[in-house]
Amino acid sequence: MARLTFQDLILKLQNFWAERGCIIETPLDLEVGAGTMHPATFLRVLGPEPWRVGYAQPSRRPADGRYGDNPFRLGKHYQFQVVLKPSPLEVQDLYLDSLRALGLDLTRHDIRFEEDNWESPTLGAWGVGWQVLLDGMEITQFTYFQQAGGIDLAPISAEITYGCERLTMFLARQASVFDIEWGGGFGYGPVRKQDEYEFSKYYFEVADIGLHWKLLEAYESEAKRCLAEKLVLPAYDWTLKCSHMFNTLDARGAVSVTERVGVIKRVRELAVGCAKQYLERREELGFPLLHGAAAFRPPAGGPKPAAPPETPNG
Amino acid sequence: MADYVFELLLEEIPAWMHDAAQATLQQQFARVMTDLGVTVAPIVNSTPRRLIVYLPELPAGEADRDEEVKGPPVKAAYDAEGKPTPALNGFLKKNAASIDDVIPGGDYIRVRRTVKGRATGEILQQRVPQIFESLRWPKMMRWGAGEHSYIRPIHSIVSTLDGAHLPVTIFGVASGTTTVGHRTLSPRPIEVTSYNDYVTQLELGRVVIDAMRRRHVMAERARVLASQVRGTPAVDASIWSQWQYLTEYPGVVRAEFRPEYLAIPEEVLVTVMRVHQKQLPIRDADGKLTNSFLAVLDNDGDPDGNACYGNAFVTNARFADAKFFYETDRRRPLASRVEQLEHLQFHEKLGNYREKTERIVRIVTAMGGDESAVAAARLSKADLVTEMVKEFTDLQGKIGGIYAREEGQPDDVWQAIYDHYLPVNADDPLPRTVSGAMVSLADRFDTLVGFFSFGAKPTGSKDPFALRRAAQGAVQILLNRDKRCIKIGIDKLIDFAQQAHGGVDVKQDLLQFFAERVRTLLEASQYGFAYDEIAAAMEAGWASSLTDLVDRIAAVKAIRDEANFLSVLDSAKRIENITAGHTSTAVDPSKLEHDAERRLSELATMVGAQIDDMIAEREYRRALESFAALAPELETFFKDVMVMVDDEGVRRNRMSLLRKIGSAVMKIADVTKIVVDRSEYRA
Repeated sequence: MARLTFQDLILKLQNFWAERGCIIETPLDLEVGAGTMHPATFLRVLGPEPWRVGYAQPSRRPADGRYGDNPFRLGKHYQFQVVLKPSPLEVQDLYLDSLRALGLDLTRHDIRFEEDNWESPTLGAWGVGWQVLLDGMEITQFTYFQQAGGIDLAPISAEITYGCERLTMFLARQASVFDIEWGGGFGYGPVRKQDEYEFSKYYFEVADIGLHWKLLEAYESEAKRCLAEKLVLPAYDWTLKCSHMFNTLDARGAVSVTERVGVIKRVRELAVGCAKQYLERREELGFPLLHGAAAFRPPAGGPKPAAPPETPNG
Repeated sequence: MADYVFELLLEEIPAWMHDAAQATLQQQFARVMTDLGVTVAPIVNSTPRRLIVYLPELPAGEADRDEEVKGPPVKAAYDAEGKPTPALNGFLKKNAASIDDVIPGGDYIRVRRTVKGRATGEILQQRVPQIFESLRWPKMMRWGAGEHSYIRPIHSIVSTLDGAHLPVTIFGVASGTTTVGHRTLSPRPIEVTSYNDYVTQLELGRVVIDAMRRRHVMAERARVLASQVRGTPAVDASIWSQWQYLTEYPGVVRAEFRPEYLAIPEEVLVTVMRVHQKQLPIRDADGKLTNSFLAVLDNDGDPDGNACYGNAFVTNARFADAKFFYETDRRRPLASRVEQLEHLQFHEKLGNYREKTERIVRIVTAMGGDESAVAAARLSKADLVTEMVKEFTDLQGKIGGIYAREEGQPDDVWQAIYDHYLPVNADDPLPRTVSGAMVSLADRFDTLVGFFSFGAKPTGSKDPFALRRAAQGAVQILLNRDKRCIKIGIDKLIDFAQQAHGGVDVKQDLLQFFAERVRTLLEASQYGFAYDEIAAAMEAGWASSLTDLVDRIAAVKAIRDEANFLSVLDSAKRIENITAGHTSTAVDPSKLEHDAERRLSELATMVGAQIDDMIAEREYRRALESFAALAPELETFFKDVMVMVDDEGVRRNRMSLLRKIGSAVMKIADVTKIVVDRSEYRA
């Protein structure tokens, strides 16, 4: 296998899922802890409208930062997120095909789906599924969404979340994330290490605690004001900002246990409010995606044992 | 003889759910077999993606059966001249019977009719979907349109009776005769014609359907791979039942982590491998952990070394983290963390862990714990704020113990910290020292009294704070009799914990809760006492000593099968019946009139004192036998003396005398609660 780069991986996944009828979205331009929080997942899984999307999402987890010293841990990592709604019955086979598209001969690797359910108290969301283990290493979270924003879902969406750095490290046989190649001869380390160091230092040591509490309050009240004005998408943006403020304060060690429960509840109330209003708004609009979106149809030929031909990167 | 092959193909079922699902299917299909008159057992198996049922030796159908059909009342069946009425004629016609078929007697017309048994296929078409659709899974999900709820999405069904397709539908999925091989190794369709063929074809398709065989293959391979590095797999009770449901095509791979990580405490390494990575450590001939380990593989080999590389990769990454936590944690002594516990909430209504620690210390002190026990109590929760426990929560206690050991704390202190969460499950070992047992008890009673104080009792299947488990562990510790035994009753422990909680009162509720745990545990296999034996002995008290309770139950158990037990029982019952509602006073010898009652009174005093001595020495069996010896005298008493006389003074005196005798046995057990089958004693 030719040495795979970080961007090869993302491009191949984009192309693979685009060919299977997904919209390729761009990352959300806000700080989020996971691709799930992108409105293209959290809001689109609500209601009866079909949806298929794939996108890369930088995911910020302030508490996971290690100043760029730990070869496996990052304060910001990249996820590739796919949502298929309703979940097609062949979704696992499609997923395995995507691994084949990355150049893996699955007859020579160990692939297992081990139970791993997902729950997000801040989003009022949970799902059932697996972690996918490739040769014993977790490379993907696979979730059938059951509830989001406190709302029972039907149809059900399948969410596939690839950990891009981990998968690249493994496929490129690199022992440190900072040794993988991003693309074009640029190393991930030289591109990202400063970022890891500065944000670790900021989140753990420097972030102004008073300011972040104030911002949390301000974002929260703006989110509520937007909800009152029936502007659910701006309201959801401010909700995500609240969530990031909370994560920052948490990493900074500024949230006591009691406060923690309280803040999670406040953010969840916003998320639940957004989910409810989003659904109402879509209904008012006549659920536009119910009309005209082609039904899901995987490309002819079924599962391919061998990798499909390389697709051009441009 | 026909046979039935069934396979439900779905997406990967969580490994821990298979055993229970198989047991339910086994039971349900055994009932189907019995109903068909078949004595052989059904064969049930499963792989991560398949639930398989094979029913051999099936008859063509149910046997025909005779049935009595009830018609109109006799009164309405014949007219005044004794001729059949239209009602009777209609009934006979409907049942294709003639007047001669009417069964004589009774108020209603009855005829016998033969009901044709249904064909086996018809029965299976009804029962199979019923059984699978009603199978309850611990955590269900919906998929696709979201209309059905099951463990995982259903893909296809094979259903063949005697080689031919027998159509069934489960949650809208129609059956066929085709399945598929292994997900990645052989994803091609397989046509099912017979059970043998199904097993063989799947095997060629890289699927071993028999869980037990997968287990044996892996166990053997693990042994061989470990022996190649001169070691043995560190097998524990749950490993195979987990591994056998993680693969369709069983395999094992050996990998190595960096030897430098062997400097991390062994408990940490084992927890990471076993709990987090589902891997199996390898020990050398001296029992020391090596840097080789085993991992499960859904493939019979690892041709390019990918799985070896991948498993080493993750394990090294985990250990790198663990090493970092270990080094960071040890920069601060454990004692300095107690203060930090203030920031860790135990429960919003029960304060933080620092407050919990204070209460544990107070309870251990009240129990009479020595210096070591109190020191251990003070440090018991300090590890909850270490990085190691934040990452690997199942190491709580153990890590505190290890850090305390490395700081040079005496054995009695660090071992008590290390062990104080034990026992978690029924077959776990107990804390190895008295101090450990004390801290464990104090922690449990603090938790129980705390949650009960604001009404957070477990109800039905809901026990979010695992209070049943906490109580059961306490009972296990208190039942122990070796050198670690704790001679304090549950009643006292509740008092101590109530005082530590500032004088709350939940004693009655908590005693009732504990009574249930005690009963459950004593009925379980290790003791195997019968329900009535336990109930009888508990009636005479249990909360002040569980070991004493066990001795009394054992005495009842030992004597219940002896012939003179009937005397014990009958005497006790008689006394109880006759003295019901009586408030006892001292026996007044001047009011004793008959010889029989005087003699009985003397004996009662004498034997009563003997029995009391025996009870004091916990010679319960002998005490029960002495009581039995009173039976003939009692017999005479009841024959000669009338208790229920009009003179209230005499009557009450006689009742007090009987009570005096009865109360001796009631100190051991309320034997009237023992259920006896009298036919056993006749010989």
